[in-house]
Amino acid sequence: MISRKSVEQLRAAIFIGNLEAKSDREAILKMLGALQGHPQVKDLSELSAATFDRQQSDPPLFPGGIAFPHARTNSVSSLVMVVATCPKAIRFSDMLVRLIFLIGVPKNAGADYLEMISFLARHVREDQVIDRLVKAEDLPSFLTAFAEGP
Amino acid sequence: MDKTGENKQKRTLSPLFRRLLRLKVWVVERLRLSERQVTLIWAALIGVLGALASESFRKTSDFIHYLATGSESSIITSFVKLAWWQRLAVPTVGGLLAGLTLWLGNRLFASVRQKTTTDYMEAIVVGSGIISVRASLVKSLSALFSISTGTSIGREGPLVQLSSLAASLLGRLQRFPIPQRRHLVACGAAAGIASAYNAPIAASFFVAEIILGTVVVESLGPLILASVVAAFVSQVLHGGGPLYKSVGFNLHTRWEMIPLSCVGVVLGFIAPAYLRFLRTAERLFSKVEIPIPLKLAVGGAIVGALAILNPDVCGNGQGLLRSLFHQNWFWDEILAILLLKLVATAAAFGSGVVGGVFTPTLFVGAAIGMLYGQTILYVAPDLRSDPAMYGIVGMGSFIAATTGAPLMAILMGFELTLDYAIAPFLMVNCVVAYYCSGIFERRFMYGESLERKGAAFFNQQLAEVSIRDLVRLDPITLPKSATFAQIAETFVQHRFQHIYIVDKEKRLLGAVSLHDVKTFLDRPELESVVIAADIMNEDFPCVSPRQGMSEALHKFSEANSERLPVVDDLNSHRLIGSISKTDIILHLAGEKSGSGTGRQFGK
Repeated sequence: MISRKSVEQLRAAIFIGNLEAKSDREAILKMLGALQGHPQVKDLSELSAATFDRQQSDPPLFPGGIAFPHARTNSVSSLVMVVATCPKAIRFSDMLVRLIFLIGVPKNAGADYLEMISFLARHVREDQVIDRLVKAEDLPSFLTAFAEGP
Repeated sequence: MDKTGENKQKRTLSPLFRRLLRLKVWVVERLRLSERQVTLIWAALIGVLGALASESFRKTSDFIHYLATGSESSIITSFVKLAWWQRLAVPTVGGLLAGLTLWLGNRLFASVRQKTTTDYMEAIVVGSGIISVRASLVKSLSALFSISTGTSIGREGPLVQLSSLAASLLGRLQRFPIPQRRHLVACGAAAGIASAYNAPIAASFFVAEIILGTVVVESLGPLILASVVAAFVSQVLHGGGPLYKSVGFNLHTRWEMIPLSCVGVVLGFIAPAYLRFLRTAERLFSKVEIPIPLKLAVGGAIVGALAILNPDVCGNGQGLLRSLFHQNWFWDEILAILLLKLVATAAAFGSGVVGGVFTPTLFVGAAIGMLYGQTILYVAPDLRSDPAMYGIVGMGSFIAATTGAPLMAILMGFELTLDYAIAPFLMVNCVVAYYCSGIFERRFMYGESLERKGAAFFNQQLAEVSIRDLVRLDPITLPKSATFAQIAETFVQHRFQHIYIVDKEKRLLGAVSLHDVKTFLDRPELESVVIAADIMNEDFPCVSPRQGMSEALHKFSEANSERLPVVDDLNSHRLIGSISKTDIILHLAGEKSGSGTGRQFGK
């Protein structure tokens, strides 16, 4: 079942195409930078610290080269998301990542986070879908590729 | 091997033995008594004990009355024979002795009183079915002094108390579980009322309707048996017959049904004022800061002073009721004795005399009913109304309106008179009075007392129990790096609603709620991506063994959880166990909690 809320949140995401970075840290920093001035972000430095703190625990990675750096923090007022495609794969721990979904979620919105991760993970299981998504140049084309399904 | 085989061969049962064994099992199964049947047997015995306890109290009361007045007659007759100063002195000295008994009892048995209850209602509703023997005897002795010396208070209170005490002792002796002990004490109370009023059906319904709050057969059956046996034994000991035998009523005209059906409305609207009057008297006496003996002496002196004017105010009002129904009273005489009796009862009740107000309330209802009947006779003489009929209907209606138990009131009115002709009018008026009274008064006579005792008992239990006593050690925990798969597996293996998340030092970091994750448990895609830290509630409430149970209950309301984590200290947050609502409830109910997985703290 497709979550309407997750679809809406994905549509509201910030898109970064062809993200280039030498490390996972650099990639995440660039994505966090895109949230500068975002109306839902109350404190970017706190969001940044929480995200890197979570990365240290156990970086959330999904087979096929997808990373979900995220943070549960009250420095955001509702779920915010930055999507980045990386045609040149970036190393996250022991995985080469081609798609990154950076998510910031308030502490009381754990269910939203689970719903979003589940929604994304179910749609990008197949390699061909990932290939299609990585080729997207902007958010509309990304959403179109996403909507095509496996 | 062969040897074992031989042994097996030898142990084979013969067909005859098998048949005998089957017969034995059949007999045992058929004859095995269930808990209900056992309770019935004990209820019958409690009926006998209750009647004997009541009879002993009556005899002792008569003896003390003889010592105090030098007369073997009824209280009112004895007081008529006394000089004016004796009418004043006897209830005053009686009150003083009653107060001294209570005062001494409070000093001597304070520690006993804190652990057990002296009140049968409390023992049935919120207690453990244990009534303090010494404190009950003190109360009964105090009641003996007051009642024997003419104080305007009902003796049904101590009769029920002693009867319930007998039941409580039996329950303790047989080591019955708490619910059964409570039920037996309820049987004792019913037996006491039945022997006091010779009204077994109403007695059972009094306890069922007012104290237990239910009339289901499971609880009513033993109550009926105990009441009937008690009434039967009482009849054997001092004669039977209804307490207020009806002279037989006939409606001279059908039109009389109209005023007769309105008695309940009148009494229903007066009842709240009566209840408030009694409460006001209690409040006024509580403001007077004098020792208990003096307070009860003052109560007795007021009754004595009124007895100088009219000795009919003395006693519980039983004799007065008989006189009211069987002799011709003028309306001004009824009004005068009603007012005097109201003041006398309020003085006795307010000063804290041990006893009941049931019989005085019956009198007030009957007197108002008769005044109403006299008014009808005056306004519509053609109806040829019998005011006594209005008195009996008024008596039942007033009881329904003051106790909030119309069913019991109907039965009581019927059993006290054994006049079936009056029954339909009793039924209508009791129900009407109950509803009319309910418009102005929600706190009925015994309900308020029960509420107060319930709250006090609950608070005391809460204050006594400590979190430390109820902590279950070794709760289910996971590290914050636990994967979603581990979390799901743990929830499947255990029936808990929350899993506590701890760090390496066992410090509590938060809790993962089943409610939050249950819709995602079947999503394998989350298993490797989500960890406990992502979904745990970091602000999950916790308690420490040093905190009180009231604080724990407050935290429970915040957490909306069956369990709360217990940490050694609210600063260090090291998790030592958990505490459950069920364990607290079982503890408050007096049961030891046996379920759960962990060991208990300090056990």
